Amino acid sequence: MRVVFRAVSGEARPGEALVITGPNGSGKSTLLAILCGLLRPTKGVVRYRRQDGDDLPRDEWGRHLGVVAPSMAVYEELTALENLRFYARVRGLALEDAGHRALLERVGLDPDRSTPVRGYSTGMAQRLKIAQALLHSPSVLFFDEASSNLDPSGQDWLEGHVRLLIDEGRTVVLATNDRREMTWGSRNVSLVG
Amino acid sequence: MSRWLAEALAVAAKDLRAEFRTRVALNSLALFALTTLAAVSYTIGPYRLATEDRPFLLSVLLWIVIFFAALAGLDRSFVKEEESHTAPLLRLAAAPTVVWAGKLLYNLVLIFALMAMLAPLFCVLMGFEIAMPWRFVLVLAAGGYGLAVITTIVAAIIAQALTRGALFSVLSLPLLLPLLIIVIEGTTAVATGDLASYSESLRAIVTMAGAMTIVSAFLFPVVWRD
Repeated sequence: MRVVFRAVSGEARPGEALVITGPNGSGKSTLLAILCGLLRPTKGVVRYRRQDGDDLPRDEWGRHLGVVAPSMAVYEELTALENLRFYARVRGLALEDAGHRALLERVGLDPDRSTPVRGYSTGMAQRLKIAQALLHSPSVLFFDEASSNLDPSGQDWLEGHVRLLIDEGRTVVLATNDRREMTWGSRNVSLVG
Repeated sequence: MSRWLAEALAVAAKDLRAEFRTRVALNSLALFALTTLAAVSYTIGPYRLATEDRPFLLSVLLWIVIFFAALAGLDRSFVKEEESHTAPLLRLAAAPTVVWAGKLLYNLVLIFALMAMLAPLFCVLMGFEIAMPWRFVLVLAAGGYGLAVITTIVAAIIAQALTRGALFSVLSLPLLLPLLIIVIEGTTAVATGDLASYSESLRAIVTMAGAMTIVSAFLFPVVWRD
């Protein structure tokens, strides 16, 4: 069994942005997958603490976490609006279409576009993935190479939005090797390859 | 409960919408079913079987066609989520039981659509006379439900594996074989008008499908998360 990393520990508080860096294959994406509950670590634990001090049950993590990662895709047979409607429904959100449309406009997508996501450029699909992650106003956001496929205006928007999220008291975790994204965080964690 | 159901319906509706746009599973099911039916009706036809053997042998043939058509298309529900990398976000967004119920509903729609097309066609082409038509529909519905429950949980298990195609048939077969035997008995009973045998078979199908539903509901969260 290959050990990806050992002895990783730390905590992030509301309003804090953590940047995870490291060479290709060092385990940045694996660490993010563990942090958001998609992978179980062979040893150790991940905990999310509620404001009342209790640990958040694992079943409820999804409600409080938003994730944008290259290994996670939205449904390419559906339109952008249909994707957001679907994620809102399965998350039990009471959002109306107006909310979805506003969110799509916020990330720079046309809500009236009837093309399925299959016809989107990688940058547009990335914007939709970001909209999906913001849909339920999560307390903790994970961005894995989030600006990688965005054009300069998209990168500017994402940087502004990440800073806004931090100001709102949300925790942001960025896994990146992009020099610009590295400046968005208040703390850096380097993984050795 | 109503929120849980609404979320499960959202998963099923999403899958159906995506399926109607690509028609991968529908085409697999329909093509397999029609090709097999054409081969069976051409080689055997309505008159090659002895009258006393007809109810049993035609029941066997009908369920073999349904069974293998289902194996050809029903594994897509979970495999597609894994192959198109949409599964991780679904894991984060929806409760496991919601996903399971949604996928089961989707598979039910597909299997019932397949049966609605196949059963009348089979009866006409093969000259399969049914003494108790409404009870025949009940046997088909109960058998179809059992088939959908079993293929849904097996599809969830094999979606995590690399050799998916072979595994689906290998794992499904031992689970589906007892069901197949009972639905064939039930179908033979409704064809001959044997009410006692029909009741016994239907009870067995419902019991088996019910047991598989409970087992799947408990097993699925473990399979889906780990």
